[in-house]
Amino acid sequence: MEVFLQTLVAGILKGGLYSLIGMGMSLIMGVMKIINLAHGQLMMVAMYITFACFHFLGLDPYLGLFIAMPALFLLGCLIQKYTLNPLMEVETILPENQVLMTVGIGMVLTEIARFIFTSDYKSVQTSYSGATFFIGETSFSVALVIAFFIAVLFTLIMFWFLLKTDIGRSIRATAQDKDAALLMGVNAKRITIITFGLGSALVAAAGTLLMPIYYLFPDIGGPFTRKAFVITILGGLGSTVGAIFGGVTLGLAEAFGATYIGMAFDDMIGLIIFILVLLFLPGGFKRLTKI
Amino acid sequence: MKKFIIVFSCILFLMGAMLGSASAADTIKVGIVLPLTGKLAKFGEIENKSFLMAVDEINAAGGVNGKKIELIIEDTTGKPDVGRSAIEKLITQDKVPVIGGGYSSSVTWATIAVAQQNKVPFLVNTGSADKITEQGWEYIFRLNPPVSEYPGGFASFVKEVATDLKTVAILHENSLFGQKGSKKFVKQAQSLGMKVLMKEGYEAGAIDFKPLLVKVKSKKPDLVYMISYIMDASLLMRQAKELNFNPKLFVGGAAGFTLPEFHKNAGKAAEYVFSATLWTPSVPYPGAKEYYDKFVAKYNTPTEYHGAEAYAAMYVLADALKRAKSLTPKDIRDALAATDMMTVFGPVKFISYGKKTQQNKLPTFLVQWNNGKLETVWPKSIATKPYVYPVPKWNER
Amino acid sequence: MKKYAPFLLLFILIIFPLVIQNSYYQHLMILVLMWVVIGSGWNMIAGYTGQVSFGDAAFFGTGAYTAGLIASKLGLSAWWGMAFGGFTAMAVAFPFGWICFRLRGAYFALASLALNEICRHIATIWEDLTEGMVGILIMPSFLSKIPYYYIALALAVMSVLMVQIVMNSKWGYYFLSIREDQDAAESLGINTHHYKMISLNIAAFLTGMAGSLFMNYMGFIDPEVVFSLHDISIMAILVGIVGGVGTIYGPVVGAFVMVAVHEFFRTGFFGFFKGLAALTGSEHLTVAAKYIGQAHVLGFGILVVVVILVLPNGIVGDWGKIIRKVIPMKTKGVTT
Repeated sequence: MEVFLQTLVAGILKGGLYSLIGMGMSLIMGVMKIINLAHGQLMMVAMYITFACFHFLGLDPYLGLFIAMPALFLLGCLIQKYTLNPLMEVETILPENQVLMTVGIGMVLTEIARFIFTSDYKSVQTSYSGATFFIGETSFSVALVIAFFIAVLFTLIMFWFLLKTDIGRSIRATAQDKDAALLMGVNAKRITIITFGLGSALVAAAGTLLMPIYYLFPDIGGPFTRKAFVITILGGLGSTVGAIFGGVTLGLAEAFGATYIGMAFDDMIGLIIFILVLLFLPGGFKRLTKI
Repeated sequence: MKKFIIVFSCILFLMGAMLGSASAADTIKVGIVLPLTGKLAKFGEIENKSFLMAVDEINAAGGVNGKKIELIIEDTTGKPDVGRSAIEKLITQDKVPVIGGGYSSSVTWATIAVAQQNKVPFLVNTGSADKITEQGWEYIFRLNPPVSEYPGGFASFVKEVATDLKTVAILHENSLFGQKGSKKFVKQAQSLGMKVLMKEGYEAGAIDFKPLLVKVKSKKPDLVYMISYIMDASLLMRQAKELNFNPKLFVGGAAGFTLPEFHKNAGKAAEYVFSATLWTPSVPYPGAKEYYDKFVAKYNTPTEYHGAEAYAAMYVLADALKRAKSLTPKDIRDALAATDMMTVFGPVKFISYGKKTQQNKLPTFLVQWNNGKLETVWPKSIATKPYVYPVPKWNER
Repeated sequence: MKKYAPFLLLFILIIFPLVIQNSYYQHLMILVLMWVVIGSGWNMIAGYTGQVSFGDAAFFGTGAYTAGLIASKLGLSAWWGMAFGGFTAMAVAFPFGWICFRLRGAYFALASLALNEICRHIATIWEDLTEGMVGILIMPSFLSKIPYYYIALALAVMSVLMVQIVMNSKWGYYFLSIREDQDAAESLGINTHHYKMISLNIAAFLTGMAGSLFMNYMGFIDPEVVFSLHDISIMAILVGIVGGVGTIYGPVVGAFVMVAVHEFFRTGFFGFFKGLAALTGSEHLTVAAKYIGQAHVLGFGILVVVVILVLPNGIVGDWGKIIRKVIPMKTKGVTT
């Protein structure tokens, strides 16, 4: 029983972080219909920003959120404006050029990080990094619990933003039907830029929240990109609620897989779920929840 | 269409025209293959610095029979196929008569085959897979002990002190080092009379080891043996502490557990963790401490056993070059085979035993983190501090 | 002239190892030829049929492991892998395509990426069969590079010819129609699923052959090497894109450029900077040489970004554009 409960807790807490990563990707995929294969790398950049703030300015990682998120918002906007948007106008054989572009951007970001910070592992050690509390026999990591609740908070904010604000409505409109949105006077280019910025800021939040419990090196992005697209497909494109479901499902699947099948399989479980969902539930959880 | 084909052909010819490399007459070229970029760059860099330090000292002391040694260091980026390109370049382009280095097992494994085929002697100083010296290849020498002998010091500790260890759980990363090392340890544990409760691999870089650790905890092993690199090692220990998981002993199988970064990242969770290691600055070999001090003074960063291996390897190579009848690969190989000298890494003599040939045999040591310092605790004769065993429980510290 | 250009190229490639005896350059050319094969395969499925695959390494690795396992488990020569490697890769491609071709565009790309990763994990975990991360080592059969060179050349010529023949056949038109508009192709009565499968299997066959060649030539494989997302799958895409998507000779040019760029950066422009640093004794140049060596992936990344932005159809595809940029005078003559 103890094993089961601890696994459940580990899965849900990790799932909270995953949903934050997935949400950004889901927004971008929903609006632009492209897969951002530099998503994990953007997270890596945010983590380095947090690390630099902590290391040089002594800033607490949670306060680092207020620097990393705007910075990544800006970076995301610039990437969309100067590298991805120009591609929309070029006549090419492959429509996937934008996806391939994100691969290139990911490589550039990783290598720039390596240039500045070298390949060494970095980590942020805070007083609460290893702190835990127990409920019954089950241990809760304080940093993960905080991360989980901040992730929930961000989800609620995003929800409000998408439903109640003008920009949010425009984003949803563009995601649903780009041509119709254009006809209704939505400036689609501006919307894509803002969306990419928002997606980057969200993944920046995830990276920053991960900092106190994890570590950092330039190649960290790749695995997270993979997790992000699994979550997005699980949840459904452009769906905030879906991303939460997707994140928690992946977290739980990995945790239970690690406990009951074997730790070596935990990546593979996510990928198999991914292919199954693609085939049997295209559209992801969004199809079931309709949100 | 046709134009690019013409241009393309021209480039091809130009590339051919770029051939020909200048050769210096009064130096002896020695090729070194190391991962200087990529994931393994950290250790590659320590070895690189140690090689350079050793070669500077050798050259300052008059070089080899009046000739200076020139190191040609090639980057393998930690990938076997690139390593192959690198060694091909060393042998055919730079025409080096002898090669050293070889950091990770997989890259070393791929490169030594080229050296053997081209009949150029290769002194491996870090690659630790057993089979490297089990092929009977007469041009391959190894300075460091193979991975199966890493826990040697630990075995005698269990026999003499920790006799109450009955069960063991083995966790290892899925790398060549981890997969091989864990299999060997299963046999070793069984021969020591321990029962292996579980052996499980994981993909390096996991965020959360708790599901795995919870499972280990529920099996209540006396000993947890882990083969991990620094960051996985620190996460494993931190999360074991978070779960209040108290086996009698945590032991790391070399690799990540002896580095200063491990303690920095794991913090208090690193305390009292044992690890098998090949070298510490306190080993009873002449020059070991001096090497450590010189390195820190010169580069302002600490060194560890990889560095000592590289430093010692350079001296072994220089010694062989001094004794070689001529500077052909064949004669250097014969000279290497006759090596019998003392280095900072211990005595070096290439012998055959078991299935292995031209393998140097060395004892291994047991170290333990104590108050933020890595102390040698076993064998007792060279201990810098008495061992702490059994280890106190997390909440009693 | 135009008609003879491919023959001229072939002739140069045939005499290359006889003229240039340095085995290091021969080694690089073997790699180039291997990438021509892989690039042609990718070009088939992605460039001509429009189904961008991020999973070439799955086929490459399967081919390599086929050769490796034939040698290590059956004790036969690894060259048998050349006979079976392509077919085992097809055996992986067939069920994958069967299931995943109902997905379109980016979704298919993601599924192939997942296939890539799943194959790598299987090869890592299934230690009894694959030896896990220990990898498989065989002793190469020839000391000289020349036999490998000609085998690689034959394979490269075969793959280029195969792509050319297929694309000139009826299949080729079906492939193109799927790329241009899948729904329209479907409504014209083309069984798109069927033709996508054919295209994928041809691609897998070529890539698997290249994998077997890699095993025979390199003599060593492990899951991280042959199932690598970055070093195989993405490199295959780069070869295709840089050379020119949907062109016969695109992969040829792409392979040459990518291998050259990789090796240029890895060796610091063939030791040019190191040499310069040694010559002038300049501290700055030594540091620069070191950074350039480290920056080869950065160079790759920037190359990709620039190529996609400036030459979205690759060097061959946008050859006319390059010519116009380089020789503006001549363009005037042509356009008038």
